[in-house]
Amino acid sequence: MKAQIQVMLFGALLATAARGEVVDKTLDAAANGQVDISNTAGTIEVEGWSKNSVRVHGDLGSNVEELIFERDGDRVTVKVKTPNNSSRNINSDIHVWVPAESSIEVTGVSADITVEAVHGALNLHSVSGDVISEAFGADVEIGSVSGDVRVKGNSKDINTSANTVSGDVILTDLAGEVKAEAVSGDLTLDGGSFDRAELETVNGDLLFKAELRKSGRLNGESVNGDVRIKFAGDVSAKFDVESFNGDIDNCFGPKAQRTSKYAPGLQLRFTQGDGTGSVSISTLNGDIDICNR
Amino acid sequence: MNDRREEELITSAGRLTEEVAPGRDLWPAIADAIERPARRPWQMSYLAQAATVLLLIGASSAVTYVMVRDTAAPIVSDGEALIVEPVSYADHHALGPKYKKAHAELEAQLQDELKRLPPDTRGEVERNLAIIRGAIAEISVALDSEPDNALLQQMLLKSYQEELSLMQHVGGLTQRVTARKDI
Repeated sequence: MKAQIQVMLFGALLATAARGEVVDKTLDAAANGQVDISNTAGTIEVEGWSKNSVRVHGDLGSNVEELIFERDGDRVTVKVKTPNNSSRNINSDIHVWVPAESSIEVTGVSADITVEAVHGALNLHSVSGDVISEAFGADVEIGSVSGDVRVKGNSKDINTSANTVSGDVILTDLAGEVKAEAVSGDLTLDGGSFDRAELETVNGDLLFKAELRKSGRLNGESVNGDVRIKFAGDVSAKFDVESFNGDIDNCFGPKAQRTSKYAPGLQLRFTQGDGTGSVSISTLNGDIDICNR
Repeated sequence: MNDRREEELITSAGRLTEEVAPGRDLWPAIADAIERPARRPWQMSYLAQAATVLLLIGASSAVTYVMVRDTAAPIVSDGEALIVEPVSYADHHALGPKYKKAHAELEAQLQDELKRLPPDTRGEVERNLAIIRGAIAEISVALDSEPDNALLQQMLLKSYQEELSLMQHVGGLTQRVTARKDI
């Protein structure tokens, strides 16, 4: 019993030591300025609000040197400054409120990033954390190395660029142009309507479940992952689909043909509708499934 | 004299064997050649195709590296004229060492960066690099059997680009966060 109490006390001491200062600061800001936020480890939550000011509420790790919070013209900077050669007790959780029309750049290393109700351009990157955001009418560039990347749009046309290495990319209700890449993670585009979609994975699976607009271009490529295309609504495009070693199934158009009498490849080329758009899908070993219902 | 000579020749010819068997059975190769689809006139030779693939890989990789290494460096303005330093495609053989050098630099940068990353992330990066390199090996093996396959050539090129892109992206990642100059 005594030993248990000692362990609990030690744990409580460690927890106290790991947490340092609690900060809560506010600065005036431009209604549609730029806000740069950086936190090495912990969490970063950013929220748009109707005030022309930036507020930071943070629970800083005990080894954090300082919270840099300053304004230079239309640019506001929030940075959790940590020692150069130590990663112990630097975990900090910060919540930042920004004017809703702000553009933001958020970076972290071992930090999860969440963004809500920010309508300006979004540039969000973490190394090992998840990055989750809403998108409105401005462009989005979002990425992680080992974390997941999720963006939920509101069907307004924007340019979206999303990439991760081992995490998954999940993009819902976006519109306009999208480029997404992963190595071992899966890529999912669920909902929305696109003029252009470029999707690439190495080992991950790829799912496109959205509308391809008239004259739209869809390029999907995977080495070992499966590719599933499920068009919402009618599609009018020239199809060029090829797999070196996988199967090709399609619920419309002709059946895939062998590329060679002596090799395992399959190829499917046809025109659907008036063929104004283009769909190009290729895999090395992954299966391809294309359907429009 | 001529008649006599002619008779001798006819006699000698008559002594020749009617069939001479070849050293090996040639028919299977001939049959295979007949059955194989005719080669299209625009098709390049095996060596030319291989050289093209290597050139594409080298050129694209070098371009990618040059572009990502320092986007500001190649364009210099002296106030009067814009001097653009183009990437050279002229010397095909020079692309090999350039690519190797770029790869080695990125590899060194990556290894340096990996030490700074959390162990889990480091493992993930190494695992995914292995996946890309595995894919490159797999595509290369497939290309060995079908060197003129355009899909495989394209995939190999993309995979090399993917490898360099990942190395470049991860290398210097934490430095970009912790040493941001704009802050």
